[in-house]
Amino acid sequence: MRMIRESTLNYSSPSLLLNYGIIVTMVTSAGHRHPISQMIAEINAIFAEIGFVFAEGPEAETEVYNFDKLNVPKDHPSRDMQDTFWFRSSDTSEPMVLRTHTSPVQARYLEQHAGELPVRIIVPGKVFRNEATDATHEAQFYQLEGLYVGEGVHLGHLKGTLEYFFSKFFSGKTEVRFRPSFFPFVEPGVEVDMRLMEGKSALAGKWIEVMGAGMVHPHVLSSAGIDPAKYSGFAFGMGVDRLGVMKYDIPDIREYYTGDLRFVNQF
Amino acid sequence: MKVLHSWLQEYIGDTIASPKDLEALLTFHSFEIDGIEEVAGEFVLDVDVLPNRSSDCLCHRGIAREIASITGVPLVHDPLTNVEELPTTDAIKISIADESACPRFSASLITGVTIAESPQWLQTRLLALGQRPINNIVDATNYVMYAIGQPLHAYDADLFPRVDGQWQFEVRFARAGEQVSLIPEGGKNEDRIVTCVGTELLIVDASSDMPIGLAGVKGGRYAGVHAGTKNIIVEAAHFHPTITRRTARRLGIVIDASKRFENEPSRILPPIAQREIIALITDIAGGACEGVLDVYLEQRLSPTVQVTLHKTNALLGLQLTTEQVGAILARIGATYQLASDQVFMVTGPAERTDLLLEEDFIEEIGRLYGLSNITSVPPAPLPVTSINVRQFYTELLREHLVTQGFSEIISSSFRAKDTIQLQNALASDKSYVRSSLLHNVKEALDQNYAHLDILGLRHVSLFEIGTVFLKTETSITEQTMIALGVRTKGDGYSAKDDMPLKLACDAVDRVLGKSLAWSVHDGVAEANLSAVLSVLPVPLGYAPVTSRPPVSYVPMSPHPTLARDIALWVPTGTNATDVEVQLHALAGAQCVRVSLFDEFTKGERTSYAFRLVFQAPNRTLTGSEIDAVMVSIYTTLATIGWEVR
Repeated sequence: MRMIRESTLNYSSPSLLLNYGIIVTMVTSAGHRHPISQMIAEINAIFAEIGFVFAEGPEAETEVYNFDKLNVPKDHPSRDMQDTFWFRSSDTSEPMVLRTHTSPVQARYLEQHAGELPVRIIVPGKVFRNEATDATHEAQFYQLEGLYVGEGVHLGHLKGTLEYFFSKFFSGKTEVRFRPSFFPFVEPGVEVDMRLMEGKSALAGKWIEVMGAGMVHPHVLSSAGIDPAKYSGFAFGMGVDRLGVMKYDIPDIREYYTGDLRFVNQF
Repeated sequence: MKVLHSWLQEYIGDTIASPKDLEALLTFHSFEIDGIEEVAGEFVLDVDVLPNRSSDCLCHRGIAREIASITGVPLVHDPLTNVEELPTTDAIKISIADESACPRFSASLITGVTIAESPQWLQTRLLALGQRPINNIVDATNYVMYAIGQPLHAYDADLFPRVDGQWQFEVRFARAGEQVSLIPEGGKNEDRIVTCVGTELLIVDASSDMPIGLAGVKGGRYAGVHAGTKNIIVEAAHFHPTITRRTARRLGIVIDASKRFENEPSRILPPIAQREIIALITDIAGGACEGVLDVYLEQRLSPTVQVTLHKTNALLGLQLTTEQVGAILARIGATYQLASDQVFMVTGPAERTDLLLEEDFIEEIGRLYGLSNITSVPPAPLPVTSINVRQFYTELLREHLVTQGFSEIISSSFRAKDTIQLQNALASDKSYVRSSLLHNVKEALDQNYAHLDILGLRHVSLFEIGTVFLKTETSITEQTMIALGVRTKGDGYSAKDDMPLKLACDAVDRVLGKSLAWSVHDGVAEANLSAVLSVLPVPLGYAPVTSRPPVSYVPMSPHPTLARDIALWVPTGTNATDVEVQLHALAGAQCVRVSLFDEFTKGERTSYAFRLVFQAPNRTLTGSEIDAVMVSIYTTLATIGWEVR
């Protein structure tokens, strides 16, 4: 008996059966998930274990949420940190942008849940920057935002949460260190470096700059209706693409978005 | 901001740490260092000054002061503490139309200077910072800016008309349509003529109402210093950061001076800058200062802020004492009084315009004490209080679709042409946002069909789940779409694609328990998921995430592939995988894929047919070299008793 062992043919097409007069075996190779969606699923599973809710917000965002409510005023130099795609004013009743970060969801979520503290969320999502692209910069990429607001939240909680996350995500004990930094929506602001302490990965033993973070700025809390004298919170934001660069040795982040299965099917 | 080690030493003294040690100190307490290089015998540190410190640290004194805050060793020389009285003059008059736009304006008259090249030490320093020396006067204004962060501008007093024996400056807003002629930008010869919209602040020669510069942004050619200049007026002023920034951005002018003005340097700086420049110019260009006029209309003092020990420790996660916090505040030059034994009333130093809130001071305390002292608090396990519907159902679909042989793509949200155009996209292929996934999925089908051999596939089946953008009457809305694509033939869509596509869409409907409104075009089916998410059953928990084996990505070769098929008889019971492994070993490293495409058994013999795909990472392979590889494979297989058909 002749058998076709088919790698992609996973539907038993009647016409095929007829043509060959044979049995199609269903030894099919599965398709492949995109590494970004796979990482987001893993990230969500890791954070779900410590009570972080998966939150979301629009990719077409208002200027108010993308900037103003995050303590990034108009005509302020802190807006230079991000190159922004603007929608045309004729299309919108208020100024709108393609969100430059997932941080607007901090403001949106806090406003909606100001009476339900503590809140713990992660926000994985697509963000956009209007800049020239190269191996480490794309006009679109995925960011992972994290936010925990409650009573008595401090930088030690941020450090512990990130060490927990990285250790799980990179499957090995990971330590984290902070350096001073600035982001308008946090104060104090820190740059976060991580170091994988064990394993054979090319990352092991090296300090790697991975993200920005800090304590939520009192202006962000009060504009969401939360009393900064009573509550505090940490926030962090990192590139999912960059996590993949580290996890999978991807040399050029533009490859994520080419639609090329020679890329996707390696995962 | 580039800083010279030798220049910092003037302020810090001979106990200054080495460039390498400064790098470590600054990195963990203040700023990242982008590099250290040696230029003409000078060590140059490239300090990545943070945006909130661009008010006081875009200069050597600022970085030196920062180092003093870290080490606790006071500066041996601090220009900001110089309170030497400046001579005054009646020869200059300044009128300011709006005191919040220009709260301070000073001008000094220096007579009898000799224009020449700057002395070697000054030229060396400017060159090490990447600046081109021009002449001693212009170089001196730049030098003082790099020293203390206050931009300055010099005029030839003899080219600047006098009225009643006075040089008359005016600072006012531009009139719409008013034109200003600016010094050409780098590499250009002609002046740039700028037409004002009315929001610009101008410096004007009041004798003729002639605009001579865009305040804080760029100077005009008017009364410029030239080889024969004898008498000069030097301006040092403070302009509103937002007004400066708006004008600079609108005109696309970002120069050292505008960058400093828009970050709100301290209003105490103009007279200090005058002291510095008068001393420097009279030293290197001769002449004498006749006097300075300093108009200071609107003072801004550092606010006094309540900082509690409780909040400090509560945000940082530390257990600092009153004494420790007090010592750090003193190190940064802040003054304080204790309102109680745990409550500080703190005033930051005058040059620190960034210290406005309790949290700003807490940041100072944390980074100077050392962020490395923060101890991790591991999170405790907790259940999640809600499940994200979109994530839950899209995950369900992804996991289902990959079992059906569909691979997932994430394509660009941008299109060269679509319905919603963006205002300011830099790249023409990103002028619009997508209103559908159809085109991207179709393009991915076209593109991937060409790579079937190397993919080891016979058809392309792929999907995308992503956001598209739509216009409403007053705004932009978005929807989460799902699109599936199947391509069975190389020359584009064929009717044969329809059946497998239909089956896949039906299966998606079954997974959701809901029929989606699929629209199908040429082998691609798309449906709106957002429309059904709200009516699907509320999920109770996420499905466990299947862990994947570790992957190390192998970059794609841009060079073409070559494929060769081989069919062979092996004894029945021989495992196909063993044959595949053997073939792969024989074919060598340039064989990037071996895929079985046919097998059948006749009695004691089984026939396997494999396709071998060859590709080199760095060159195009030739047919003859691969034929040679195949011959050697045939020969070796014969020796182990596998018969090539």
